[in-house]
Amino acid sequence: MTRFLIRRIPSVALVLVATSVIAFLLPRLVPGDPAAVVAGPDASAETIAAIRTELGLDRPLVSQYFDWIGGLFTGDLGQSLRFNRPVSELIGDRLVSTLELALLSGVLLIVFGIGLGILAGSTRSRWARVLVEGTNTGLLAAPPFLVGLLLILLFGVAFRVLPTSGEVAVLDDPGIGIQYLILPALALALPMSAGVARLVQTRMLAVRQEDFIDLAVSKGVPPRRIDVRHVLRNSLGPAVVAIGIRFGDLLAGAVVIEAIFARNGLGQLAVSGAQSADYTVVQVLIVGAVFIAVIGQLLTEVVLAALDPRVRLG
Amino acid sequence: MEDTAHQVPETGRSRRPRGGGAWSRYASALRTPKGMAAAILLVVLIGGALLAPVIFPGGYDQQARGALQGPSGAHPLGTDEFGRDILVRTVYGLRTDLSLILTAVPVSLVIGTLLGLAGYVSKPLGAVFQRVLDIILGFPGLILGIMIVLVIGTGWLALFLAIAVAGLPGFGRMARGGLLSEEQREYVLAARVLGVKRSTIMVRHILPNVVDPLLVQASVFMVIAIFIEAGLSIVGLGINPPNPSLGAMLNVGARYVQTLPSYVIGPGVMLLLLALAFTLLSDALNQAATRR
Repeated sequence: MTRFLIRRIPSVALVLVATSVIAFLLPRLVPGDPAAVVAGPDASAETIAAIRTELGLDRPLVSQYFDWIGGLFTGDLGQSLRFNRPVSELIGDRLVSTLELALLSGVLLIVFGIGLGILAGSTRSRWARVLVEGTNTGLLAAPPFLVGLLLILLFGVAFRVLPTSGEVAVLDDPGIGIQYLILPALALALPMSAGVARLVQTRMLAVRQEDFIDLAVSKGVPPRRIDVRHVLRNSLGPAVVAIGIRFGDLLAGAVVIEAIFARNGLGQLAVSGAQSADYTVVQVLIVGAVFIAVIGQLLTEVVLAALDPRVRLG
Repeated sequence: MEDTAHQVPETGRSRRPRGGGAWSRYASALRTPKGMAAAILLVVLIGGALLAPVIFPGGYDQQARGALQGPSGAHPLGTDEFGRDILVRTVYGLRTDLSLILTAVPVSLVIGTLLGLAGYVSKPLGAVFQRVLDIILGFPGLILGIMIVLVIGTGWLALFLAIAVAGLPGFGRMARGGLLSEEQREYVLAARVLGVKRSTIMVRHILPNVVDPLLVQASVFMVIAIFIEAGLSIVGLGINPPNPSLGAMLNVGARYVQTLPSYVIGPGVMLLLLALAFTLLSDALNQAATRR
């Protein structure tokens, strides 16, 4: 396990270094003087000069980069240009909102994805299978924001049972908080779970054709046990990979979902940062998002090994 | 006996002159039920978008008397927060969306293919481009868009670039995959032994064989491109107001969803129709490409 993780260091490092360099260079790619863009049209020369110093634009490029990276490692994420507060504070304020959303939709993604997949892969009734497959195909084609709008129209407008705008922290008030959280989390999880379900289903159908299933049947293993111990266990690998890979998409999707449901999370911070040229904030968020996506993929491989003893990490 | 034997090559030649095979195959894709539905939908959508200035000569920013009016005879989908007709703006929004995807996706297709085929000219160059494509692939779709907006600001160009760049890895990998498998085929080896020029082998033998999967990928990516536009516009990083796009309308419409659901339903349905048309097209093309 440790050896496996060590072996993966070079490729993970390449992605992270490339991302950090790109994120670092972004404000420097802005046509004209980025400091002037930040300062706005009627800023005085002193203000622009102060922002130049804050962005570190007056020093050599390479030392700017290493200062910035060093800051990321030591927890100094820089100063927001718009709010005049440390970036770490801004992120801290909004982290819980996005974390709640990501956690619940992650759970829903696993439950619906694997649940729907098992249903479609093992149902003996033809109608049930057609129904599940139909839902699946419909969801597969729709991106999270369309599912979100549909959920709003359904549960917020046609039947006013759930709030569709704003948020209450689940930790502050679990009862109310979950009401605000459930629709956005569903909107984010459902389309992705369709892809996972499809994988589980096709794998289950394929595994059912394998020789060891015939052997188990002829041995007299009860059908339920065959389904759970033999078919299912051998079908979950691709689903785990699919869920792990979608971790990055989950974060990217959260940006849109937060906008539709008027939640004040990290996605909104990134969007408002991009709108108001708040470079220091967006740079940190980009590196953070890619970092989390990479970690998600690493974890995926570890889980995969735990599930299938044939895959040995090392 | 002799007659038929004589006729076969004759008809074969007359039916498909050079390159005719591919075209008749694509035409047959459009004759399947899926292809037919895709063609009809696309003709209606593109036709409607092109004719928008003729059908609605008032333009998309003509204001009526009341703002946020419900659906009525004069305004089938109601009016928006400035009293502009939502149906008219939806059609003009479709125009914006089509102008984006029908330019950005072909550009992405050509550049991505060139990056993917670069390995044929120089092996190290091909490997470098693959690395670059891998890194692009590492950025989840919307984050790529946010980065581009950060550098050049919001607007049509940012969306165009976001779509074009996001498509590069898909096209590049597909082209490279095709190149690597075709390069090993006997007919390519034979052509090389016969002393055919490398550039000729590329253009005459390899390229025609990677075009099919690339075209399927292009129509699949049209759908993704539509959703990239919508995603970026919904969060407010898309087309600048007052210009309409389907995503930009959803951005504002979501605020009024309680009072005026048609503000979201109109552009939303249009978005789905557009996505459906290209999904059907890609299915039909895929069938035609694998059938031969």
